[in-house]
Amino acid sequence: MSNYVYSSSPHVKSPNTTRRIMIDVCIALLPACIAGCVLLGLAEARLGWLSFMVLALACLSAVAAEFIFLLCCKKKFAEIIKQFDFSSLVTGLLVGMNMYATSKWYAVILASVFAIIIVKMLFGGTGKNIVNPAIAGRIFAFIAFGAAFGGAMGFEKKVFGIKAGFVQTGATPLQAFFNADKTNTLSNLDLLIGTGVPGCIGEICKIALIAGGIYLVVRGVLNFRWPLVYILTTGVVAVLIVWIESCMKDGKFIAALMGTKFVPALKSFLPSILSGGLILGAIFMATDYVTTPNTKLGNYIYFVLLGILTAVLRRAVKGEAVSFAILLMNLLVPLFDLYIRRKPFGYVKPAKTKKVKEAKNNG
Amino acid sequence: MKTFKGGFHVPDNKALTADKAIEQMPSVTDYYVSLSQHIGKPAELAVQVGDTVKEGQLLAKASSFVSANIHSPVCGEIIGVEKRRNAQGSMADYVHIKANGKQDVELMPKLTDATREQIVERVALAGIVGMGGAGFPTAVKLQPKDPVDTLIINAAECEPYLNCDNRLMIERTQEFIQGVRLIAKAINVTNIYIGIEANKMEAYDALVKLDGIIGEKDEKHDGDIVVVLLKKKYPQGAEKTLIKACVNRDVPVGGLPAAVGCIVNNVATAYATYDAVVNGVPLYKRLMTVSGKGVRNPKNIELRIGTPLSAVVDFCGGLSDDTVKLVSGGPMMGFSLAGLDVCTTKTDSGFLALTDKEASTVLPTPCINCGKCASVCPMRLMPMYIDFYATVGDYDKAVSIGGAMNCFECGTCAYVCPAKRPIVQSVRLTKTKMKEKK
Repeated sequence: MSNYVYSSSPHVKSPNTTRRIMIDVCIALLPACIAGCVLLGLAEARLGWLSFMVLALACLSAVAAEFIFLLCCKKKFAEIIKQFDFSSLVTGLLVGMNMYATSKWYAVILASVFAIIIVKMLFGGTGKNIVNPAIAGRIFAFIAFGAAFGGAMGFEKKVFGIKAGFVQTGATPLQAFFNADKTNTLSNLDLLIGTGVPGCIGEICKIALIAGGIYLVVRGVLNFRWPLVYILTTGVVAVLIVWIESCMKDGKFIAALMGTKFVPALKSFLPSILSGGLILGAIFMATDYVTTPNTKLGNYIYFVLLGILTAVLRRAVKGEAVSFAILLMNLLVPLFDLYIRRKPFGYVKPAKTKKVKEAKNNG
Repeated sequence: MKTFKGGFHVPDNKALTADKAIEQMPSVTDYYVSLSQHIGKPAELAVQVGDTVKEGQLLAKASSFVSANIHSPVCGEIIGVEKRRNAQGSMADYVHIKANGKQDVELMPKLTDATREQIVERVALAGIVGMGGAGFPTAVKLQPKDPVDTLIINAAECEPYLNCDNRLMIERTQEFIQGVRLIAKAINVTNIYIGIEANKMEAYDALVKLDGIIGEKDEKHDGDIVVVLLKKKYPQGAEKTLIKACVNRDVPVGGLPAAVGCIVNNVATAYATYDAVVNGVPLYKRLMTVSGKGVRNPKNIELRIGTPLSAVVDFCGGLSDDTVKLVSGGPMMGFSLAGLDVCTTKTDSGFLALTDKEASTVLPTPCINCGKCASVCPMRLMPMYIDFYATVGDYDKAVSIGGAMNCFECGTCAYVCPAKRPIVQSVRLTKTKMKEKK
């Protein structure tokens, strides 16, 4: 036998590995986690600690669930460690970021375990899941636990001159926005930085999420097009919905369309893209490699449809619907891959072979 | 700067040998010359065991239209014909020649002002084949069935590490250009392009200094040969991507370059044509880059075809202890070798000894469907599906959905794959299985 490695070409490969991609995603998620804990902690120290505990619990239970599952599959512990690709850590972190500081501990653990065991491992592990595990985990907790899942908190108290505030389970800015809630005093800048914004731990600070997204783009992990297409489509469709609704109110629909209702409707663009979990979902969850189409054209259609679905669902339920929109679209990905194929280089349209076929059948 | 869609910038590692002038490899005592160094039928032996042959004497004759003559690299005695393993791993007939130390050389008559027919005939007699790696008999290529109007010389040398074409263009610029003009004359075309990757500026400068060469930057507009500067990207030197970049034509699926009126030839082939026509020297020597961090003294050498690799390695200072992989050819499309008992052929442009830092020995993990393979595929195939369906044994779908039959195995997909999927291996498996079906 030869002392040398013997294999098919290519003999050099890029240093990029699945593990490195997953570690990069973890790094990109950290600013938003920290910002979420700090901003909540500024409102009330207890909330900061609670959010940290939620994140830690979600990560631990996700990783533990994967290990236990693999041990039950009779894999050796050392082998599991060697093959550990950090994808369960990403899932755990995302589940934690999608929970509230007030979420009950068992809701957090069960959401993580559901995401890993049911959604990922039972379908074949890394790369084989048909929906994003974190999204499924969040929705599972949302439907199964109701109150234990927790709720958004509003803030008003000023801490260190930053608007942060009291704790009260209440409407998210998005719900306030749709219900024309007068008490909603958050500016677009507040929404961007997260000061005084109630919501899930990970979605509070949009600027930290965007910073994480930029890191991923720079590292070549994320294609900047897809989150951008998704977010912009959602914003545009939201504006259109507000515009059409404001026109419909008067009863004179066509006249109103010609009128000046469009400019006020434009004002809903920024709040609708900066509220809720859209940015978190667009950068980190909708763009999950496994659950997006494989072609460029497929991806454009996918993310535009996702944006439309998100905006319409949000209007229909008068609340957050990003996770449901992503879940629904995830299920359609196999169809995208089945029907949208790209043509190979130098593709020649095959000449009609009807006659040949007939001749063959006759022969 | 021109290029094609897809591809990926692979670190080229050419600096190891880029400035090393071509060295002559000294003679060794034993040569093993393969009888099938080309695509097509193996050549038929034209000498007897026990004969004494001169350097350049015909050893084996082309046995059919697609085949090539083989000449003796050295003056010596024929010891026998034996089965040996070639770089691709299969067994082939090799003629064993023992050098006798004499310098008798048998050349063909020199041709001045050769006609078209004379050039084609001489290329066939000299046994010239595509020296970029494919080994297609050049004489066949010079008699295309489709009408052609363009000659493209492939000077991209996009494989990492390799520098033999680069050094040839720098050191033997005049001869190379004469070879290009001879090929152009043989196929009767006036549009001549030399596609060169932007990491070979020294060779580019040497080329554009000559008369009749139009560069990209200078104002010179009179000339018959256009040097096209190409973006540094792998696989820029593949026939189809080169044609796309130079003249913006799409070679149809399953078609040859001649289908779009182009003929592509390698730098070394052009030089061999010059040598055969002008000097009457048949093809029994070639340039080769011996590189990789596992080689103590990386070099560009000119060697006699049939030299055992063990002698080549000795000449380059031997291998370091941390060598993990031996490669014949470039690291992207070359063949991995089990040992040094392989002998050089006409198509060997490089020999690499890679250390564990260079060669990837990471085991594959599950595909995460990131789509990087599809985004870099120059043929716009779906490599992830080829790998998936070949792994589960559904070869028909690997062809219909993945497009395995249109793949030319450049390996860019497997290079970028974060899961280290053996995609090229899956393609080869699929192609073999489809062949077996027929």
